[in-house]
Amino acid sequence: QDQAVTAPVEAAVEAAPADAAAPAAAEAAPAFEHYGPEMIKGQPTPGGIGFQDQYTADGSYALWMHDAILLPIIVVICLFVLGLLLWVIARYNRRANTVPSKTSHNTLIEIIWTVIPVLILVVIAVPSITLISRQYKSPPENAITIKANGYQWYWGYEYVDNGGFEVISNMMPEEEAKAAGEPSHLAVDKRMVVPVGVPIRLQTFGADVIHSFGIPSLWFKIDAVPGRINERVLTIQEPGIYYGQCMELCGARHGYMPIAIEARPLDEFNAWVMTQPGGTTPELKAAAAAAEAAAADSEAADAAAPTA
Amino acid sequence: MAGAKNHDYHILPPDIWPFAGAMSALVFTSGMVMYMHSDFFTNWQLVLGLGIAGLIATFFCWFSKIVSEAQAGDHTPVVQLHMRYGMILFIASEVMFFVGWFWSWFDFALFPSTMAEVIGGVWPPKGIEAVMNPFDLPLLNTLILLCSGTTVTWAHHCLIHGDRDGLKKGLWLTILLGVLFSGVQVYEYGHAPFGFGGNTYSSAFYMATGFHGFHVLVGTIFLTVCLVRTYKGHFTPKQHFGFEAAAWYWHFVDVVWLFLFIVVYVWGGWGAEYH
Amino acid sequence: MATTADTFQAHGDEHHHDADHKPGFFARWFMSTNHKDIGTLYLIFSIVAGIVGGGISGIMRAELAEPGLQVLGHVVNFLGGDGASFDQQGHMWNVLITAHGLIMVFFMVMPAMIGGFGNWFVPLMIGAPDMAFPRMNNVSFWLTVAGFCSLVFSMFVPGGTGHGAGTGWTVYAPLSTSGSVGPAVDFAIFSLHLAGAGSILGATNFITTIFNMRAPGMTLHKMPLFVWSVLVTAFLLLLALPVLAAAITMLITDRNFGTTFFDPAGGGDPILYQHLFWFFGHPEVYIMILPGFGMISQIIATFSRKPVFGYLGMAYAMVAIGVVGFIVWAHHMYTVGLDVNTKMYFTAATMVIAVPTGIKIFSWIATMWGGSIQFKSPMVWAMGFIFLFTVGGVTGVVLANGGVDDNLHDTYYVVAHFHYVLSLGAVTSMFAGFYYWFPKMSGKMHSEFLSHVQFWIFFVGVNMIFFPMHFLGLQGMARRYPDFTAAYAEWNHVASVGYAITLVSVGVFFINLIYAFVAGKKAPANYWGEGATTLEWSLSSPPPYHQFETLPVIEDHHSADDHISAKPATV
Ligand code: HEA
Ligand code: HEA
Ligand code: CUA
Ligand SMILES: [Cu+2]
Repeated sequence: QDQAVTAPVEAAVEAAPADAAAPAAAEAAPAFEHYGPEMIKGQPTPGGIGFQDQYTADGSYALWMHDAILLPIIVVICLFVLGLLLWVIARYNRRANTVPSKTSHNTLIEIIWTVIPVLILVVIAVPSITLISRQYKSPPENAITIKANGYQWYWGYEYVDNGGFEVISNMMPEEEAKAAGEPSHLAVDKRMVVPVGVPIRLQTFGADVIHSFGIPSLWFKIDAVPGRINERVLTIQEPGIYYGQCMELCGARHGYMPIAIEARPLDEFNAWVMTQPGGTTPELKAAAAAAEAAAADSEAADAAAPTA
Repeated sequence: MAGAKNHDYHILPPDIWPFAGAMSALVFTSGMVMYMHSDFFTNWQLVLGLGIAGLIATFFCWFSKIVSEAQAGDHTPVVQLHMRYGMILFIASEVMFFVGWFWSWFDFALFPSTMAEVIGGVWPPKGIEAVMNPFDLPLLNTLILLCSGTTVTWAHHCLIHGDRDGLKKGLWLTILLGVLFSGVQVYEYGHAPFGFGGNTYSSAFYMATGFHGFHVLVGTIFLTVCLVRTYKGHFTPKQHFGFEAAAWYWHFVDVVWLFLFIVVYVWGGWGAEYH
Repeated sequence: MATTADTFQAHGDEHHHDADHKPGFFARWFMSTNHKDIGTLYLIFSIVAGIVGGGISGIMRAELAEPGLQVLGHVVNFLGGDGASFDQQGHMWNVLITAHGLIMVFFMVMPAMIGGFGNWFVPLMIGAPDMAFPRMNNVSFWLTVAGFCSLVFSMFVPGGTGHGAGTGWTVYAPLSTSGSVGPAVDFAIFSLHLAGAGSILGATNFITTIFNMRAPGMTLHKMPLFVWSVLVTAFLLLLALPVLAAAITMLITDRNFGTTFFDPAGGGDPILYQHLFWFFGHPEVYIMILPGFGMISQIIATFSRKPVFGYLGMAYAMVAIGVVGFIVWAHHMYTVGLDVNTKMYFTAATMVIAVPTGIKIFSWIATMWGGSIQFKSPMVWAMGFIFLFTVGGVTGVVLANGGVDDNLHDTYYVVAHFHYVLSLGAVTSMFAGFYYWFPKMSGKMHSEFLSHVQFWIFFVGVNMIFFPMHFLGLQGMARRYPDFTAAYAEWNHVASVGYAITLVSVGVFFINLIYAFVAGKKAPANYWGEGATTLEWSLSSPPPYHQFETLPVIEDHHSADDHISAKPATV
């Protein structure tokens, strides 16, 4: 009993479906080195009190909006209310003010404390609406489609434009993560490798219940819902490793289905793709298609030859 | 001063039925869970039966008390006013309950799923080969209910003008029309071209019309109670809130049906093969 | 203006068969038709639920005190599990947070605010002898108890990966349908049906009472603000709860009868459930705070010895909060894949609520301004409320921004936000109300010293629990996790220590209760002095079993929204 209590993480990984593990990379594929822990960029800092550093343009904008607009405003409002309370305590306690006033109206002040909050909210609303419209920009032509499928309880990353293979990603057992120099509960066995600087059309889908694909350092969170495909553009600005977690309650191991994104320059990403079974890049695909078309042409020519 | 009541409100003595009713409700819902998981629980029949019996007993005894209090003259004008408010508010909450069902209907009909094969992105869904012809039995039912709305109003007029005979006739007619409606509805369910579960159309259809049907049943019982009370000589032209409440409730059920007819049967089945 | 309380000092001798005659034990407590007894039952029930819900949060904080799973295995085994598997532990976490959320919301805050204080003081404050429907009042209470029982049942039957319902208090489909096999979730759903039915009946009762049973001369615009707050709350209950009832009925039929409301295979949509739930859920959060607003208004006015500033604005601010509260629900769903216009609309609409809420905050402060404030325990709690609620409210405004919420949704920032408005807002206002009225209800004075001590320990404790949760949320820590990576350890540890401090304050509360009942001085009719002017202060403490057998008449001196003064008719 106590054993079971102390070794949960291992159990989680053991219990993961055997067929979930992607087959080993094709032998002939070129060697590909994953980033080591020195490339970790998106992770929480011990004792941290603010947002994680941001590595997307929208994330930087949102971070600015929070740190430069929202946070100062709410801090000032709280301090203002606190200040008024303290003033009232000091000035209008029974000893300081024995005779209470009878004032119960002051139209001007009531208008002021209605109008000023409205103005503050307008100040907030402008960048807020801007942020939302930025987040909803539709993906450009060259976007690469990757689909994140939420399963109970692991993620599957489907490379729709790269041959359609799916990488199954499970949480790394705590000991292994420590040995690899990665944070426990966040490290995974197979990372979601993506290109850096290239817009990704990230789709999410829930295979059983609702999960949510959330990466704090990319300001990115979108639910993975059964029966619908959600889509949002994600453009990561720097190569690195970015951790995230499942952000919607999905059952017993909701806490144990982390996300680790490894963002690589496009050529390295393509190299990684080639290590995957059935992996292909658009160039290769185009080449293959051209070759096929050529073959078909010559076949057609062959077929036509006798009658000619 | 002691114990002298100088107001018209109704102060009640202690009563066991609220407690008994709440506990019956708990037994009933627990029985329902046991029934739905009869692989796990045995004897669900006993628990569910007990719960239902308790609820029926509660309703019967509770409302009997209200009736006898009314007869005893406890229902002063202000107490009657309370009941009016109570009934209106209760109906308002019922309206919101149906908002939930209509909400799901509109959601499914306006945004039919493209991912589910049984739906196929169209409404009525692919999986529904035929829907009920709204201008067949549903139209008949609409007429029946509208008719019953007029008969209950007729009964009310008779009551106000002291015509007890007309009151009885009106009530009898209303109840019969209500029963007729339920009968047609049961027949319709029995001959529906689609089953209960499996897709959103039939789910939302049966739950919405089914809950309406349940309300018709409740309304019919309510009217029957009024009829029995009429034979017992209850109600005066000035004081008959029990009757009015039943009539309001009946009109509410009627209006819900009109929405169901238009939204679910006519609009919701538009373009499909009629059965 | 002095109250003529003595005229009402009723019936010193308890053996007289008069207005103070009470039924025997069983009849009095199980068959009650007396609003004060039912109110007392609600308060006792709420305190019991508070102990259970607070106890569960203690288990949660113990588990989260450090990384790794330390406690859950023992909880599973304690509840009759056979050697806790990893999945059973994870499931147990979900069961605990679900039970904690549901108990605190439906069985602690709501019963105390509406059932308890509402029942006790709405009739007293409007000069009515009882509620409009005394029998129905009682069924409301017992349905709440029945709902609680159903929730308890759910803990002991299978609910998927282990025993109990592990769906979160929001009961999202399809985790709550295809994702949770077994009867537990059905019991939990019926728990909401039962408690909800009780609340709907209670709401009709309050609205009817307030509209029809005000004493002669008490117009709506002279009604104490607490009564206003209960009126608005009752409307929210009446209109929001039935939608929840429909939604969870769909859950039941999806689970057991093959419907596909939320099952994509049959064309259903899990997001529909969320819309229906939050159409109820957002008004629900105001249901939990509005009565608190009402109590704070009474208390601030009493101890400042001043009429409430901007009475009409205060009343209509609550109405505005109630109305706008119905059209902002999807701010809980920013990440589900809303389209861009929807997200912008809900962002804007949500922020609007800050305006009427601000009116309330500033009007309270303006009430104190120029006052002659006495820092009795209810006042201290009320001032604590104003500050703590503001902190919780402004983080709500941060979350209201759809684009910002993308990074905060389902993190501890949200947990921090809603505990600031609930555990530090609603609960603080409940303690304020409790100390304000406890002597009135019991006839015994509590210890002012202990109440002050409780306040300060509570203030330190709860801030220590919940303030660091903002940091955790900003850093990305997800909700509903039994375990976390090492980077989150520090602040979680602080929070758990804060819980221990809070527990001490709850302990002081109970010591104070015991003290009051054992050694408390007898409470006079108006123990707060001239600032306390509403009608309940014109009655003895406790009031006679049946009060206002002759209705009080409200004098029409001063201006309409000035303080209410009752001129009791000769009894
Ligand atoms: C008592 C309960 C209560 C109250 C009163 C509130 C009040 C508010 N809440 Fe909160 N909320 C909850 C309980 C409550 N909430 C709960 C339980 C959840 C989580 C549910 C779950 O997922 O489990 C939640 C979640 C929640 C979310 C979703 C977060 C997410 O899941 O991602 C959002 C987003 O908009 C939000 C917003 C607000 C806003 C804008 C207010 C406003 O009403 C606040 C208004 C108050 C003020 C702003 C302070 C005072 C005003 C002034 C001093 C004037 C000046 C101020 C300005 C100009 C800003 N809340
Ligand atoms: C009113 C509501 C309320 C209250 C008071 C509290 C109080 C507390 N809550 Fe919680 N909490 C919720 C509502 C509430 N909570 C909800 C809705 C959720 C979300 C659940 C979900 O995700 O589904 C949640 C989730 C939640 C979490 C997140 C779990 C997770 O996501 O994994 C945590 C973690 O620490 C937590 C902790 C606590 C603690 C330490 C307290 C402490 O403050 C407790 C100390 C105890 C008290 C302050 C109560 C004392 C009161 C009385 C004894 C009654 C007095 C009665 C009268 C005066 C009449 N709560
Ligand atoms: Cu997957 Cu939470
Ligand atoms: Cu909300």
